Amino acid sequence: MKKLIILFILSFSLFSCEKIIFKPDLGSKDPLDNFDYLWNEVDKKYSYFELKSIDWDVMRNKYRAKLSKNSNEEELFTVMANMLNELKDDHTNLVSPFNISRYDIRLKSADNSYFRTIQKHYINDIWVPESGIAHGFLNGNKVGYIMYPSFLINFSDDEMDLILNRYKNTNGIIIDLRNNGGGSLLNVPRLLGRFIETKTLVAYSIMRNGEKRNQFGSKQPFYITPHKGLRYNKPIVVLTDRGSYSATTFFALATKALPNITLIGDTTGGGGGIPNGGQLPNGWTYRFSVSQTLDLNGNNYAENGVPPDIEASFDWTDLTKDEILEKALAELQ
Amino acid sequence: MKNKKGKLFINLLAAVIIATTPIVAYCSESDPIDSLNVSNYYRRLSIGLNIPTYRDFATSPLFYNGYGILLQTSWFKNSIRRERDLQIGLTLNNMSARIPKSNYIQPKTNAVFAQLNLRYNRLFQLKSISNEKVNYKLGGLAQTTQNFRINQNLQNNAIGLENITNLMVSAQMTRDVSRNRQRTFNFGLFKIRRSPVKRDLRFQLNYGIANFNYRPGYAYTYVPEINGSETSFIKFLRSSYKWSYFDGQRLNTDLEFIIYLPNGNANSWSYTWDIAHVPGNYQAFQMASHQIRYRLYFHAKKR
Repeated sequence: MKKLIILFILSFSLFSCEKIIFKPDLGSKDPLDNFDYLWNEVDKKYSYFELKSIDWDVMRNKYRAKLSKNSNEEELFTVMANMLNELKDDHTNLVSPFNISRYDIRLKSADNSYFRTIQKHYINDIWVPESGIAHGFLNGNKVGYIMYPSFLINFSDDEMDLILNRYKNTNGIIIDLRNNGGGSLLNVPRLLGRFIETKTLVAYSIMRNGEKRNQFGSKQPFYITPHKGLRYNKPIVVLTDRGSYSATTFFALATKALPNITLIGDTTGGGGGIPNGGQLPNGWTYRFSVSQTLDLNGNNYAENGVPPDIEASFDWTDLTKDEILEKALAELQ
Repeated sequence: MKNKKGKLFINLLAAVIIATTPIVAYCSESDPIDSLNVSNYYRRLSIGLNIPTYRDFATSPLFYNGYGILLQTSWFKNSIRRERDLQIGLTLNNMSARIPKSNYIQPKTNAVFAQLNLRYNRLFQLKSISNEKVNYKLGGLAQTTQNFRINQNLQNNAIGLENITNLMVSAQMTRDVSRNRQRTFNFGLFKIRRSPVKRDLRFQLNYGIANFNYRPGYAYTYVPEINGSETSFIKFLRSSYKWSYFDGQRLNTDLEFIIYLPNGNANSWSYTWDIAHVPGNYQAFQMASHQIRYRLYFHAKKR
C-alpha cells in the first residue's frame, strides 16, 4: 500500500516539470510590453528598411515616447498603427478586435478604373461567372477581354480552358488587373503559364534570414512554367493601376521578362514583399513584409510599384470612354 | 559549440548503447520456451479526452490551450519477461489563446490542432529487482509526432506542421493489485459481493535521449510561394522546414489501471502526460498534453 501511495505521489510530482521546462507565460496587456514586442519583431524580420530609408531606431524612440503603462488600448492601437504606417507598406497591418490599421496606397493615388464604363460602352454580352472572372469580346470580336478581380480567385483549369478557347481566334487578349489587390501568389504562375511556350526566369526573391536589417538569404529564382494544356500565344496587354497590389505587382514584374506581354496604365501599387503573420502578447495580430522581389537585374523597385510600358490614365470627366482600354486596343491592332 | 558537440556525442553514445547492448541477456534469463508459453497478444483500442497546450514562438508568445478527443489503436504483446507495443494515435483538438482580459473587446483567437502519433516500444524485465507482486522492465521507445495546426488569424503563417521524433529510454513498473478472494460488503438492506479479479497498476516513464525536430525557417515563409516554380500544395508547405538534430527535450508518463476479464480480454483507465520542448534552428516550439483514456484489450492468442 505504501508503495502505491509513493507511486501516485511520484506520478503527480512529475507534472510540475511543465513549469520547469516551459518558459513563463508571456501574455500581457501592458502597452509597453506589446509595443516592444512588435517593434522587435519588425526589427528582426522586416525586409524594406534600406529601400525606404527608414531608421527604425528613430521610430522606436518617436512612438514609444507617446505611450506609458497607463495608456489604454485605443491609444496603444493608434501609436502602433502610426508606427507601422511609417513603413508605407500595404502588406503591414495591425489587427485588433476593434480596428485594423492600413496604409491604403490606393486611396493616396489616382483611381484609374471604372468597370461600369466597360459593361455599358464596350462589351454587350459580358460573361460574369460565379468565380467573378468577367470576360467578353471587344472590337468586333477581334480582341478578347478578361477582368481578373483578385488573385484570391482560384480558377480551375477547365474554367481557364473555356475562356482561352473562346478567344482563340482573336488577335490578342486584354487582361484587366486594375484594382486587383492581390491574393494567392500560386495563381501568378497558373495564369502566366498560359501565355508562354518555354520555362522562363522572370524575377528573384530574397528573404530575411537573420536579425541584422540587411541580412537576407540567397536569391531564389521565380520561374514561370508553361501550362501543360491549352495556351494562348498571341499578344497580351495587361492593364494596371495603383490599386494593383501584391500578387498583381508580382505578375506585372514577371511580364517585363516576357516579350509578348505589354503593361499599360499606371504604376502598380507595390507590395513586392511576402507578408508573414504573428501575434502580440495581448492577443492582437499583425503582419508585415519579410521578403523582397527583385527584377532580373537585381533591382527591388517592385515594392514601390512596377511602372507600365505605356502610361495612360482614366479621364473621369467622360465616363463613356476608358482611355486605358483604348490604348490597349490600339496596341493590339 | 563545445557544449553542443559534447551533448551530441553523449546522445549518440546513449542511442548506440540502447540499440546494441544485449539488454535481453542482462535483464532476463534466456528461456525462449517459457516466454513463448506465457506471451499474451492483444489488440488494443482506446478513446479518450485530450487536454493539450502548445506555444509556437515563431508566430506568438502566447500559450494555446484546448480540449479534444483521442483515438488510438495498438498491437501489444506482453509477458512477464518482455513487452512489445506498436501504437498509432490521433488527437483532434480545438484551441484558443490564453489572452489577458481586455478592457475593450476580448480578442478571439481560435485554432485547430491535430496530432498524429506513432510509437514503438520494447521492454525487458529487470529480473534482479522484480518479484511476484512488482515487475520492473526497462527498454527503449521510438516515437514520431506530426502536428497539424491551423490558425487563420496568423494569415500567411496560419499553418504549422512541425514533426517531433524521439528515441527514448523507457522504464516501467507493474504492480499486481488483484483481489484474490471474494469480498462481501454488507449495507444492511443489501449486500455487494465482489469476486476475485486480476488487476494491474502500471506506471511507465519515457525520456528522450535523441530528439529530432522539423520546424520552419527564420521568417516562417515558404520558398516555393516566392519562387513560383512549384504549385504543389504539399511541397509548398514543407519546403522551408528544416531538421534539427539532437535538439530539445521530451518526457512522457503513463499511469494505467488494468482489469482483466475471465475471457482473456481486459479494460483499463489511464492518465498520460506528455511534454516536449523543441528549440529548432530559430524559434522554439513547446507542447504538453494530459490524456484520460479508456482502453479495451482484445485478447488475440496466447503462445
